[in-house]
Amino acid sequence: MTFSQQKRMSYYAFLAPGLLLFASIIIFPVAYSLTLSFTSFGGYGTPEFIGLGNYAKIISDEVFLHSLRNNLLIVAISVFGQIPLGFLLAYLLHRKMVRNGDFYQTMIFLPITISPVVVALLWNQIFSSSGMVVALIRRLTGESQYVIRIFEDRQLAILPILFVLLWMHTGTYMIIFYANLQKMTPSLLEAAQIDGANESQMMIRIILPSMVGTIATTAIFAISGSLKAFDLIYAMTGGGPAHFTEVIAIYMYINTFKYYKYGFGSAASMIIVLLAVGLILLLQYISRKFERRFE
Amino acid sequence: MNMKRLLSTILISLLLVPALLFAAGTKEQAKDSAGDGIITLSVYHFLDQTDKTTAPNFQYLVDVFEKANPNIRLTFEYGYGEAFHDKLQTMAMSGQLPDIVLLYPGERTSQVTNAGLVQDLRPYLSGHEDEFADMAMQGQGENGEIWELPEDISITSIMFTNNRLLKELGLALPKTYEELLAQGPVIRAAGLIPISIANKDAWPMQSCVAGMLVERACGLPWFDKAIAGEARFDDPEFVYALQIIKDLTDKQMLSPGTNQLAYGQGLDDFVQEKAVYFIDGGWTVNNMVGELTAEQKAYMSLESFPDIPNQKGQSLSTSATAGQGFGMNAKLSKAESDAAWKWIWFYSGPEGSAIRQRFGRLPAYNLAEPKDADPMIQKLVAYAGKVPMGYVMDSVLAAEPIGTFNINLQNMMFGTKTPKQVAQELEAMVAAVGR
Repeated sequence: MTFSQQKRMSYYAFLAPGLLLFASIIIFPVAYSLTLSFTSFGGYGTPEFIGLGNYAKIISDEVFLHSLRNNLLIVAISVFGQIPLGFLLAYLLHRKMVRNGDFYQTMIFLPITISPVVVALLWNQIFSSSGMVVALIRRLTGESQYVIRIFEDRQLAILPILFVLLWMHTGTYMIIFYANLQKMTPSLLEAAQIDGANESQMMIRIILPSMVGTIATTAIFAISGSLKAFDLIYAMTGGGPAHFTEVIAIYMYINTFKYYKYGFGSAASMIIVLLAVGLILLLQYISRKFERRFE
Repeated sequence: MNMKRLLSTILISLLLVPALLFAAGTKEQAKDSAGDGIITLSVYHFLDQTDKTTAPNFQYLVDVFEKANPNIRLTFEYGYGEAFHDKLQTMAMSGQLPDIVLLYPGERTSQVTNAGLVQDLRPYLSGHEDEFADMAMQGQGENGEIWELPEDISITSIMFTNNRLLKELGLALPKTYEELLAQGPVIRAAGLIPISIANKDAWPMQSCVAGMLVERACGLPWFDKAIAGEARFDDPEFVYALQIIKDLTDKQMLSPGTNQLAYGQGLDDFVQEKAVYFIDGGWTVNNMVGELTAEQKAYMSLESFPDIPNQKGQSLSTSATAGQGFGMNAKLSKAESDAAWKWIWFYSGPEGSAIRQRFGRLPAYNLAEPKDADPMIQKLVAYAGKVPMGYVMDSVLAAEPIGTFNINLQNMMFGTKTPKQVAQELEAMVAAVGR
């Protein structure tokens, strides 16, 4: 065996464990799930091939469409809410525009260190019909039957969850941006200041362009995280009432584990994967355009 | 790098993969590893270990059993809520079903029972059938198999009544639905809830109200026909039963924001005397024993929902089903099966049932009325003995139709679907998945 062959073999040898592990826990389950998605498998017996039947049912199901709409709203609040807000907060802290920056930094980051289930219980305690806010309003108004009706509105029931998601995850993006802002050469901003640039000009012309890559990365996190959103919502509302706050991951879970429709649930999970990949590709296309523009 | 070292690297790398993959896997239970004649059996049970009533009660039963059977060691694993069912499915599909497992009648654990993963208990039970309530001995499999020995009879619809509040408000127990509705404004004006019920989880309205109302509006013969496919769930009488739930909602008879209230809140409001009536299942008595004071127990009573107009079913009727119970793995050896049966028989048979009855349960095993039991338990036993019983819908319909029906009841209460639409959707789904 020649030296280059030996070298190549050693690459394969070192690659093999990781590759096998990756194939076992990622590629195989995804391929298995894809195969199941074309069947009516119900947990036992032989899976019956039904082609695209599951996919056709899913995309014509109004519960799925409402779940998709909720997921897209979560994507929107993540990309257009958490990321800009996280950036703004990081900017304020980095430019030392607020006093006691360390305190605010800790406070903003704190929610992400709490388990989503605990967060859900906390907000439920505050807003549920038996919670603190309702009890307070009942006492103040003397209206013993008062409840917050937003949770019972098909279109608006998702809003409190969006608010909690914003509260919970903004800190993550703030930390990412803050770390990247600290990496910037201070002399760059000092030079701009000497040249007479004001705060907004520095932000738009220097800081934002240098952050395009970071923004794109955080957006990918936000999109993939939003499409698989499950824990907080399941613990808060279980997707209810009446599917109002359901997202695709809960739709998949209910069909798979409550109704024992493994094939159907697999199809729903494949749709989540396809949506995530599609949106991330779109985002990469947009970020490349921006990068070129700033270059 | 020489050839020997390269091959060693490859070999070690490949050996690492299964080690990594299975490092977190479960270990096989040693049944009699010490050779000391002690049989160890794994048990998977539905239990909220944080519940200050049910968890110690269950542990007491285990202690009594293990003391009486020193040669059988039970190792428990617990699940609660949906997590119990998720894990059970995973265990079943991966071929790692525990030796003894809690199962449900009907469709709830059909992925285990229909797949032939558990034993038919009839050979063990033979000769004892008459000792149980008839409802508990109905076949659970296609050929009449008994997959699990029901521990309790679950009465799912009881109208718990606070007679002290009724008296204070100058009201009497309503005999008719109209009388009940007429009490609503009086009760609300006093800042109280007419009927406490928490339906965030969606099943309580179906399990604790709809089944009972279907019996009242349609009668048991209609229910039998509907299950057999000779009557339809969108028949006018069934729609009428749903209309009553809609009316109760629209007339503000139920807990405000009932669909936002987590299960348990209904009981809390009743125990704290914020509600005059409380509709829930007989299992709640278990909690009431500990949560109501002796004084409260004296004026709380167990009643039936009043008669509805044009009632085809029986007065005072409720809905009931034989409850869950333990079954045993089909792969057990003869000695293991015998040991497993000892636990199952202890738990659902005379000894365990007597203990559970003292704790506030209504055992499926026929027992004499408990004279020295808690007053709430005595009231439950007396109630069970006097009321006619219809079906609980989730015990006779498949998981998907009933899951959709539960959600649609919420839709109906919000006004996003009409009773007729809910009935039509149920019929369509039942027809599609089979009755």
